[in-house]
Amino acid sequence: MPGGSCPDCGSSELVEDSHYSQNQLVCSDCGCVVTEGVLTTTFSDEGNLREVTYSRSTGEHEQVSRSQQRGLCRVKDLCRVLKLPPTFEDTAIAYYQKAYRLSGIRAARLQKKEVLVGCCVLITCRQHNWPLTMGAICTLLYADLDVFSGTYMQIVKLLGLDVPSLCLADLVKTYCSSFRLFHASPSVPAKYIEDQEKMLSRTLQLVELANEAWLVTGRHPLPVVTAATFLAWQSLRPSDRLTCSLARFCKLANVDLPYPAVSRLQELLGILLQMAKQLAWLQVLKLDKRSVVKHIGDLLKHRHMLLRMAFRDGTAELETQEKTPEQGRGEEVGLDSFSLPKGKRPASPSLLLPPCMLKSPKQAQPTPPVSTVTGDEDISDSEIEQYLRTPQEVRDFEKARAAISVPSPS
Amino acid sequence: MEEDAYLDLYLNGCAGQDDLGPAVPPLFSPAAPYDVYNPSNPETAFSAHLEVKETSGDFSSVDLSFLPDELTQENKEESATGNQRGSEENEQDVGQGFSGSGLSSAHSHLQPGGAASLQPLPDKPDALPMAPIASMTPMNPVSECSGIVPQLQNIVSTVNLACKLDLKKIALHAKNAEYNPKRFAAVIMRIREPRTTALIFSSGKMVCTGAKSEEQSRLAARKYARVVQKLGFPARFLDFKIQNMVASCDVKFPIRLEGLVLTHRQFSSYEPELFPGLIYRMVKPRIVLLIFVSGKVVLTGAKERAEIYEAFENIYPILKGFKKA
Repeated sequence: MPGGSCPDCGSSELVEDSHYSQNQLVCSDCGCVVTEGVLTTTFSDEGNLREVTYSRSTGEHEQVSRSQQRGLCRVKDLCRVLKLPPTFEDTAIAYYQKAYRLSGIRAARLQKKEVLVGCCVLITCRQHNWPLTMGAICTLLYADLDVFSGTYMQIVKLLGLDVPSLCLADLVKTYCSSFRLFHASPSVPAKYIEDQEKMLSRTLQLVELANEAWLVTGRHPLPVVTAATFLAWQSLRPSDRLTCSLARFCKLANVDLPYPAVSRLQELLGILLQMAKQLAWLQVLKLDKRSVVKHIGDLLKHRHMLLRMAFRDGTAELETQEKTPEQGRGEEVGLDSFSLPKGKRPASPSLLLPPCMLKSPKQAQPTPPVSTVTGDEDISDSEIEQYLRTPQEVRDFEKARAAISVPSPS
Repeated sequence: MEEDAYLDLYLNGCAGQDDLGPAVPPLFSPAAPYDVYNPSNPETAFSAHLEVKETSGDFSSVDLSFLPDELTQENKEESATGNQRGSEENEQDVGQGFSGSGLSSAHSHLQPGGAASLQPLPDKPDALPMAPIASMTPMNPVSECSGIVPQLQNIVSTVNLACKLDLKKIALHAKNAEYNPKRFAAVIMRIREPRTTALIFSSGKMVCTGAKSEEQSRLAARKYARVVQKLGFPARFLDFKIQNMVASCDVKFPIRLEGLVLTHRQFSSYEPELFPGLIYRMVKPRIVLLIFVSGKVVLTGAKERAEIYEAFENIYPILKGFKKA
């Protein structure tokens, strides 16, 4: 029975009734109409209006809090900005709702909830092999990569999700297409314009070569692709483009130059130079890191074989630990380098290893002498006293501290 | 049948050809082209891109250690080729957001040996299954251990001094203490031998870090307790417990992290955009391993030394499986 009492007879037996669809509160004893609906409420009527607790109002059924609504809205906006297919939006929203039910997320700071939007979109894209980098999302969200990474790892663990790795092939395709070098434009000289298909296929081959040569594992994927795109572009018309630097290339193409791309470029050129040494007609040319660019086309055509020829298997070599004395045999300027007999390989091939393993190893730390500490030895007083201040030192210390903290007189 | 056509194509490709050219970049099926089975890359690349359903005659993930030698040799080729298709299939499944059991579902109808299939035999590297079964307890091969011993780098332990402490007084009377209440509510004390650092809280609880062995950690904690005693507090030494042990070692060969994350999806997390190493959460024992491309491995989360050694012996065969044959 609704609470409140009848103003006429004072009875508390009020019943909700409707008279021609207008809700009324009627006293069941005397029949007096206590309240008569929304349109006409007198002052006394309003006094009889009951306050409704949240648990009995409709608000309880709307489980979506305002911040969650805001978050869902942001997810939709992000999907639209990124021009993702419509199914992605539904999946991302489902993930966001699922994440929101976790207590750790519901009580988190706003910053984390904002970053969570990006995490859900990223997970959706990864599961559909849509190449979206974390850097791109952080830029869009104005978020810190550290905060993003923490939230991302947490949510993947809490929801128990299986997120596939970034698909490198798709990343190359999307990233390459973003370079503004495929159509004539006032800021780009004509000789720099390139055909998109040719550049894309060559970049893919170079990235694949970099992957085989251990330049991709453990590193951020994007700088490698930048370096590969640059080399592909240069090698398609070396005579005109060798003079253009990596930084200028990125500026013309209207793409940010990631910092590690410079060193990736050098590493990739190093690999190509090693491969070039296996081709007889290139050996005589004594190539360096600039001139090898002109021959990238040839090198890529035979990249599998050249890679195998140019490098010993790093793993096998470390295992056997033999250093076969391979003197640099005289250069075989044969007509067909492919049929070089095995014993007449030019200059000893180097190891195909990740660059971090090729750097000179730090002085092998001498294994610490096996300590015979038992943990229960006696502790001498003198040893402990070396850590304590004498009373005089304590006084001096306090005096000094007081002197420092005294505010300077005006 | 479409499947037969693919099978024919693949078998033709395998008929001892040389470079097939850049038609199919092997890059984008990372489980395949690491030269484990065939010396020539293009063939593996070619097969890796075929979506062939595994036929029932496929022995890819069967642990061949139970079978006599002749049978092993015979099945080597099939296991090699079948496995690539297996890993390729798993890759294709990725798009549906598998939660970790992709491998087991693909191989479940094949394996009689269950958990045993996870480990390759060290003396038969070519017969190694590249896509091991999802198993919670990787078993060790009976024959050999790695010969590498992880070195302990850090031990974290806690002890209860069981008396309330006046941190200001400690900071005043001890030379090796620092105390900045605005930054952190504990005294940071250091001793030279064993070289360690301790956090001493006003409740009497203490955390000791930096020791290289359990005994050294205990000795260091006792020394800190003695310092506190000498400062006039009735400190005791209750509930000494090692909370965490960190160790590191080097397997001395490079590791294809992309391959490892594909085959051990449910345990590994590899995000090169965030961190260069692969984070492997082993279930038994419960240890977290950081595996880097250079072959260095960091093990953490152990409460006992034996857990570290066990974890390394578990991971070593898995890592060896990614070495080129």
